[in-house]
Amino acid sequence: MIVPSQIPYRVREVEKLSPTLKRFYLEAADGGALPPSSAGAHVVLTIPGVHRTWKNAYSISSTPGERESYSIIVRRVLNSRGGSVQMHEGVTAGDVINGAVPHNLFALSRAGRKHVLIAGGIGITPLLSHAAALHGGEAPFELHQFSSKAEIPVFERLLGVYAGHAQVHGPGGEAEAVEAILTHQPLGAHVYVCGPPLLIELVVRTAEQLGWPTAAIHHESFGDHSAGAPFTAMLAKSKIEIAVGPDQSLLEAIEAVGVQAPYLCRGGACGQCMTRVIAGEPDHRDDVLTPEERAAGELIMTCVSRAKTPRLVLDL
Amino acid sequence: MADQGIRSRPVYGPVRLDATGRRHLLVTDKPEVPADALRDELGAFPEVWTVARTARQPSSPFLAPAEGAASTHAFRSLAQLFDALRARLSRETMGFRLYAVGSETFLADVGALGASAGLGRAEIVLGHAGSLGRRVYCVHCRTMTDGVKDNVFACSGCGASLFVRDHFSARLAAFMGVQVDAEVPGELPPIETLYE
Repeated sequence: MIVPSQIPYRVREVEKLSPTLKRFYLEAADGGALPPSSAGAHVVLTIPGVHRTWKNAYSISSTPGERESYSIIVRRVLNSRGGSVQMHEGVTAGDVINGAVPHNLFALSRAGRKHVLIAGGIGITPLLSHAAALHGGEAPFELHQFSSKAEIPVFERLLGVYAGHAQVHGPGGEAEAVEAILTHQPLGAHVYVCGPPLLIELVVRTAEQLGWPTAAIHHESFGDHSAGAPFTAMLAKSKIEIAVGPDQSLLEAIEAVGVQAPYLCRGGACGQCMTRVIAGEPDHRDDVLTPEERAAGELIMTCVSRAKTPRLVLDL
Repeated sequence: MADQGIRSRPVYGPVRLDATGRRHLLVTDKPEVPADALRDELGAFPEVWTVARTARQPSSPFLAPAEGAASTHAFRSLAQLFDALRARLSRETMGFRLYAVGSETFLADVGALGASAGLGRAEIVLGHAGSLGRRVYCVHCRTMTDGVKDNVFACSGCGASLFVRDHFSARLAAFMGVQVDAEVPGELPPIETLYE
């Protein structure tokens, strides 16, 4: 079982980008150099709260290889598990937060001749590190940001350094815009999309319809899809029945009773937490399982997926 | 000895139209596309390039396609086909699929040209037809020898007795040849004709 090695991060600075967006600069709490991170990598932070802790994954949005500090951007989301609210309200400069060393499930393809980056909302964060890695390099790139009307100026400010490469699209006409972006791209182009599930689906579907091979299509979902209706889970090996609350993930509920379960990304992307389902029907929210595997209902990603039935029995 | 267990040895699949592609080009080094190399009807391929190897071939524009058949163009020579293919690939966009049917050396050249133009493995389909004669790269003097049929041969550059390994370099589009009698000059393994 992979247990990501943990290090303490100190919050060097918190910068308010908009009413709901904050950028946190993290440095090594011991004053040394941070582990090197690559473009598209993320850290899983252990966010302490009064009644509970959260383990949330945040993409590193600063320049890859930078070892003095990482920056992450957190959107404050109400009606979710609450980690982002705690980051916004409970974490200030000087605080020390434990977290995993960076992992990367959204790397740039070395074979890419051109890189097309597409973000929806706060999905921009991994693509900011992609853009930083590509800026001034040999392979051309373009970055398309889809944004709500209110946040257009925020993203235009964030992307100002990439003038000539970056374009911010307001709401409406997404399907036509994505088709226009993906049509007439040269051979060897790779597309990377991060954002809400509907945007990811749109980009993946459009690229496939235009004949892009799957190896050239990269996606990472962001944010928190793990909250939902409560259910119970029976851990068959441990013989423990647990209640999964509406504001916690299945994985968090398993961890809360002291059972060690595998995990890595905590975002439904890596497949590390895949667990066998003995009974009950999963509500799949991950990006790992194929449509066939989803339909079979024999496997579940505990970090994001939940239950359609009141009870799940897991091989844990 | 026929299979040396080296995984870089290319495996050629039956050539069928990849329906996930949007534009398709089939090229062959022969005057006609060998039907047994295709899993689909030739007519399924919207565009076919052949090498007629004759001066009687009109060098200009595409031949008018027959009713219901693919658009075909016959080139006078391999060199002409490769020039046209290079130009075509530089203009092509994502959604393109390239199919090649022919000798192993031709497939290697098309594969290398496609890769250098940015095509990935899923976008090039290679089907073998005709000679299995190999292009071999002498790792000692860097000379290429085409049409090698035996497991051991004399390098056309330095004369060394080279053993033909299944180690295929996609970058060089050639198999690796290494001196077989380096320890005891003149001591050769049994010579077999394996690549006809």
